[in-house]
Amino acid sequence: MKFGIFYELSVPRPFAGGAERSVYENALEQVRVADEVGFDFVWAVEHHFLEEYSHCSAPELFLTACAMQTKRIRVGHGAVVCVPAMNHPIRIAERAAVLDILSGGRLELGTARSSTWSELAGFQIDPDTTKQTWDETIRALPRMWTEERFSWSGTSFSVPERAILPKPVQQPHPPLWVTVTTPGTELDAAERGIGCLGVAAASFKEQERRTAEYHRRIRSCSPIGAVNEQVATLNFLYCHEDGAEAARSGLAMLGAFGQSNAHLLFTREAYPTRAYGSLANLAPAPARREGSPGDPSGIPEGMAIGDPDRIIRAIKEWESIGVDGVNFLLNALEQIPQEQVLASLRLFARDVMPAFRKGGR
Amino acid sequence: MLAGSADVGALARRAPKLASFDGEALTLPGVEILQVTYELGGVAPEAPFPPALHPTLPVLAVLAVWRAAAGPLGPFALAQWKLSCRSGARPRQLLVGSFADGEPARAALNERFAFAAAPARVRLERGYDRVAAGVELGGRAVLDVTGRGPLPLATGDLQFFSSVHAADTPTGLRLVQIDAEYAVARAERAAPEVACFDAAAFGLPGARLAYPVAAFVAVADVTLPRVRFVSRADVPAFAGTERVS
Repeated sequence: MKFGIFYELSVPRPFAGGAERSVYENALEQVRVADEVGFDFVWAVEHHFLEEYSHCSAPELFLTACAMQTKRIRVGHGAVVCVPAMNHPIRIAERAAVLDILSGGRLELGTARSSTWSELAGFQIDPDTTKQTWDETIRALPRMWTEERFSWSGTSFSVPERAILPKPVQQPHPPLWVTVTTPGTELDAAERGIGCLGVAAASFKEQERRTAEYHRRIRSCSPIGAVNEQVATLNFLYCHEDGAEAARSGLAMLGAFGQSNAHLLFTREAYPTRAYGSLANLAPAPARREGSPGDPSGIPEGMAIGDPDRIIRAIKEWESIGVDGVNFLLNALEQIPQEQVLASLRLFARDVMPAFRKGGR
Repeated sequence: MLAGSADVGALARRAPKLASFDGEALTLPGVEILQVTYELGGVAPEAPFPPALHPTLPVLAVLAVWRAAAGPLGPFALAQWKLSCRSGARPRQLLVGSFADGEPARAALNERFAFAAAPARVRLERGYDRVAAGVELGGRAVLDVTGRGPLPLATGDLQFFSSVHAADTPTGLRLVQIDAEYAVARAERAAPEVACFDAAAFGLPGARLAYPVAAFVAVADVTLPRVRFVSRADVPAFAGTERVS
């Protein structure tokens, strides 16, 4: 089991007066601690225009800062929007290669197509075309990284023969992932031989079904590059020795996340299309998930909120259904004070991580 | 979290009377619908909403015109202007203003579901390559919209959301939740065009249609069920929502 931390970089109003800077500085400090205590990944989203919910519009810069301040933790785009109007495919390949070099081969590249009307309309993108442009982009990326000179004649972009430079450090290229919000995307991942980066709520039962289907389907995939067979899910983390205190702060974090999420305008809500099959959420929607039966804490099923023993039990359940990694949101709208977030990270590393390493309980 | 900033007192002064929550459900068969959606501009996102509601960012301005050729209320046409928002975290559309053509229907919709529809000439016309709709008030156009080049969609591709109507109810000013159900028989997406839109006539001076989103054309059986939930306008939905049936 691998563990990551995951950033939306949500910022509480008012934005003036250094709020954004404080969020970024707190996040970087958390990343340094996560690196020291043994987390495997730091992921950062790409979102535009999403007030409060995510001020992470240039993740390649944030992740570069993460890489420069750490030694071991892998840095992941969670994810780059693969739509040329937002990110030209050549620029994605170039920026990723530079980050892979600067991080010493620690890059993970998640890919996505954006799911909010706010973002798509902001870049004048036709929602009907995003799946196709994502597909075209991710098929081109491994070739751009591995071929000395590259040319492409496609639907969403074309380029005459050019050397795409620099090349990444990792051979043959950094691992590729796709964010999974709506059911069925796990099959898109399997078909192409790339990792499943879960960023939306799924029950144990639903996640088990999706994971099994992914592993079954990937065996006969047509890989677009080096196969990356991994399934990661998204969760919230607040670990405290006192379970009641963990529940109090953790539930406040979930509530803050739900508030920041409420303003989002999903594509399907605005634009009638079959290209977006549901009102996809961008991350867990804990308000929709009820607490476990017989559990008075009110903590939704499967959430990594509680004392270490409780969190171990929750993650063991994710592990038992075939999940390879869990990525954690550590805060929302700075609801939890920074010192408590850092203490939670350290406690998790000390008391929870060992249960999932070789020889763990 | 950004909350509505509209003056609740002003909302109360113009809220229509809803004498009871006991209005029976109503099914309107074969309603033709043109819905034109733009992003709202001209006013701050939170300005049109009472404190109970939260704007989506951006706010969608939804212009929905219905034409019913027959049914329990007789023939009528209805034009509504709604704005996208959240009640708590739930998607809703706040009714800003409406007009209806067809007197028995207008009265029934107002009395039973707080549509607050003013009398006007409302039209919806289907052409070969467009569906047009408009509202004339005292001989003056206040709405003229078109869905151009309709192309078929699956009926499930359309999304409808519950609306909330401000009303003077037996328990005071309330946001009445109307959970209309749409059994869609035909759905098409079209390009939205607006030749005329008088936001002041619909009740929100200064607002404008800032950026086109989409239009759709549909034929549906529309059911307006009994009112089940109302909420106070002045406090967040989680604190002020009441079940009434």
